[in-house]
Amino acid sequence: MTVTRSKIEIAALAGLLAGLSFAAGGAAAAERHEYSKYWQTAESGHEEAYIRELMPAGFQVLNAPLEGPVYADERGRTLYIWPLGALRNGSTGDRKDSPSNCTDEVLRVSAGLMSPYPPGLLLPDADERRSCAEVWPPVLAADDAEAVGKWTITERSDGSRQWSYDGFPLYTSTLDEAPGDAYGGSKLDSARDGGIVRDPVGPPPDVPADFGVVQTTTGRLLVTEDDFSVYVWDGDEPGKSNCRGACLEDWAPVPAPEIAVDRGDWSVIRHESGFKQWAYRNQPLYTYKKDPGARSFVGSDVPDWTAPEWHNVYTQRAVRPPREFTVQDVEAGGQVLADSQGRTIYIYNCSDDSVAQLSCNHPGAAQEYRLAICGNGDPEVCLQTWPYVPAEPEAVSDSALWTVLAIDPTSGRLAEAGQENALHVWAYRKRPVYTYRGDLGPGTTNGDGIGEFTGRRNGYKAFVLRDDFGRNAFRR
Amino acid sequence: MAQLSNRELNATARELVTRVRQGMGGLAAVAMGVAGSALAEAPQDGRIGYVLTERHWALYQTEEAREECPDGFNIGPREQFDVLFPEEAGVQRTELDTRLAREGDRFHLSTEPDQFEFHVAQGTHAYGVNLDGSVDADDYLSPDGVEGIDNQLQRALGCIPIYRGPDGAFYHFSNLFMYGNAYNRWVIELTGVDDLENDDDVTVSFYRGLDDLVTDASGTGFVPGGTQRVDVRWGQSFIQHVKGQITDGVLTTEPADRAKFPWSFPNIGGGFHIFRDFQLQLTLTPETAQGVLAGYADVEHFSHRLNRNWTTHHQSYGQLSAASLYRAMKKLADGYPDPQTGENTAISAAVDVKMHQVHVVHPDQTLTASRP
Repeated sequence: MTVTRSKIEIAALAGLLAGLSFAAGGAAAAERHEYSKYWQTAESGHEEAYIRELMPAGFQVLNAPLEGPVYADERGRTLYIWPLGALRNGSTGDRKDSPSNCTDEVLRVSAGLMSPYPPGLLLPDADERRSCAEVWPPVLAADDAEAVGKWTITERSDGSRQWSYDGFPLYTSTLDEAPGDAYGGSKLDSARDGGIVRDPVGPPPDVPADFGVVQTTTGRLLVTEDDFSVYVWDGDEPGKSNCRGACLEDWAPVPAPEIAVDRGDWSVIRHESGFKQWAYRNQPLYTYKKDPGARSFVGSDVPDWTAPEWHNVYTQRAVRPPREFTVQDVEAGGQVLADSQGRTIYIYNCSDDSVAQLSCNHPGAAQEYRLAICGNGDPEVCLQTWPYVPAEPEAVSDSALWTVLAIDPTSGRLAEAGQENALHVWAYRKRPVYTYRGDLGPGTTNGDGIGEFTGRRNGYKAFVLRDDFGRNAFRR
Repeated sequence: MAQLSNRELNATARELVTRVRQGMGGLAAVAMGVAGSALAEAPQDGRIGYVLTERHWALYQTEEAREECPDGFNIGPREQFDVLFPEEAGVQRTELDTRLAREGDRFHLSTEPDQFEFHVAQGTHAYGVNLDGSVDADDYLSPDGVEGIDNQLQRALGCIPIYRGPDGAFYHFSNLFMYGNAYNRWVIELTGVDDLENDDDVTVSFYRGLDDLVTDASGTGFVPGGTQRVDVRWGQSFIQHVKGQITDGVLTTEPADRAKFPWSFPNIGGGFHIFRDFQLQLTLTPETAQGVLAGYADVEHFSHRLNRNWTTHHQSYGQLSAASLYRAMKKLADGYPDPQTGENTAISAAVDVKMHQVHVVHPDQTLTASRP
């Protein structure tokens, strides 16, 4: 049978309008609260302190805008490792305490590491591919270099000597252009199906043993040693806790050991109840007794998520994105980065299926992968379905993570200098960002997961700032 | 003790599920008979809540699928790939022409015919609801003898192993993933209940909850008595209120014109179905609510949700070709024609559900009112 009724979806329209009004109100709220929640201003200059490890001559520690302290070579190029990992049909990467598997061989066919497709398929960029070692130049050691601390030396297949850190051979990335760039990889956890990716390496954060640091999409989140969020309160004074009585019913001061002493950003204060409490950058620290789990942002909704008095703590936040970007609540259960209209921002992810697992997520790489997903091979469909976020050609962001790229709309690659039809678009970490046509209003993430392996392998993921139902996994 | 092979175990499990399904009405009757007098009392404050603890697309299954799939099951991505791109000596296939073309087709669905025959489920029986109030040629008969059951989705899904219980990958994992992902925490609350066995006027509210499910000591069974806080921050689009009535312990709700039902997998920013004429038929006890939810599922949304939540790899474990299924669903769609094209946009469907009683905790009204 056929149902023939046709009803005006007043409820749906009302919902859309409600969403739009929220976008307007939400933008104002974002100005007040959200930016300081997730990001810092360029002027604030907070950087994560780190533990100084033994290091061979010629290397240095630089501060990357998102990743915090990273090791770099003498030219300032960030160092990466490629730890072995398992994919659906096998493993690849470097085995700990073993020589590099990133070789000079140019791999032109797929390895079949990802189900259900077989190996031996000619890769889209077969004619122009570079070898793994060309894309990831090994960090070579001089003939007289000697191991020191976590830094050791392995021998490559051609007899050259390669530095390793913590047992894994070191590389630089051809995507990095300036000191502090870390475009070759991220400290964000890797989802297995996203490819066997490279990780930038750096010294451990200088936090007491009671704490840890979690890499998020906006910075370095301070947590307890068992991964629970710590918070600071507007009601406190520098170096003095005013949390007493009813406050202590919901909030637990983070206790400091009796032997703890002040060190760098860390100080020990005496809570009026008598015990010692940790303070970071002179602000007393607490955990929230009602947090539903680790890595929570729920405490930062207290007493009201539109005007919170409690805040998560970061050792380092990234500098805020360009001003036209906003923070948007989404029905997926969290917050995302959004454009000026409240539309969710997406990032395209791609790793190829060669043994080398080279990234194809940037406009310098083969675009056939992305075009297949966004337009079934048709660039015009891609532009309609996944529009770039336009930018003024000369726009400059306070954040080094955000730049304007000129894109050839036909190929998706970087435009030639002076190309007339070039699109000027915002890019995050040198990768264009997008909105999705299927998001009819603010607050939706209908494009999240479109692509192979839920958008991690060859597809789109929302720019998530907070993911309560996903336990804030912050995976690549 | 006699040892059973895996095959025998699976067959036994399938038979058990079939028997349980077919006996669902009977079980409900037994429950009502035993507890009927106790249920005559009104719940406290005339209010009782339930949280979703199990859900599957409702498919009427016979042993070895003999009745519904006489021509066998449909083939999936792996099998279709082998047909389209057989290994041939000297032929160098490209990712662009094979993998990427197939993935592109998955996200840019078409009704253009392909070379693969789609096996539509046969048979005369289905679970579900008579959504349109009429008895038509393509309607089913329920196992309880109700005529006019609208469940065309069964025709589309019935011969795809991934959807079949108890061991289909989608059947199993979509339920498993529901437990651990609060996005899926679907809650109903009945208010104005004078009698949980017979009450001709109750209000049924749909919410999304925020809390984990309460299990027994085994960790695999759910127990009544938990609490669920209503998600008023992110879950507004899931909130809805409909009228219903309880007759002999069975709640029947009036159709909601349009309802959003969460159905997401881990690590995905959401995922839901849009149902038109959404309605519930649930057998109530103070501890559980069990039965079906039914309505016309939006076809485009069904496919969109499926493809971004369940990858080709996962679809392969159960012979689900999303592109083939889409073609079938478009053909079988039986509701809500597009005003421009006249093509039906939705397909009649039913979901087996089981829910456990929870205390629904509403938010502080001041906090709610402060929402911008």
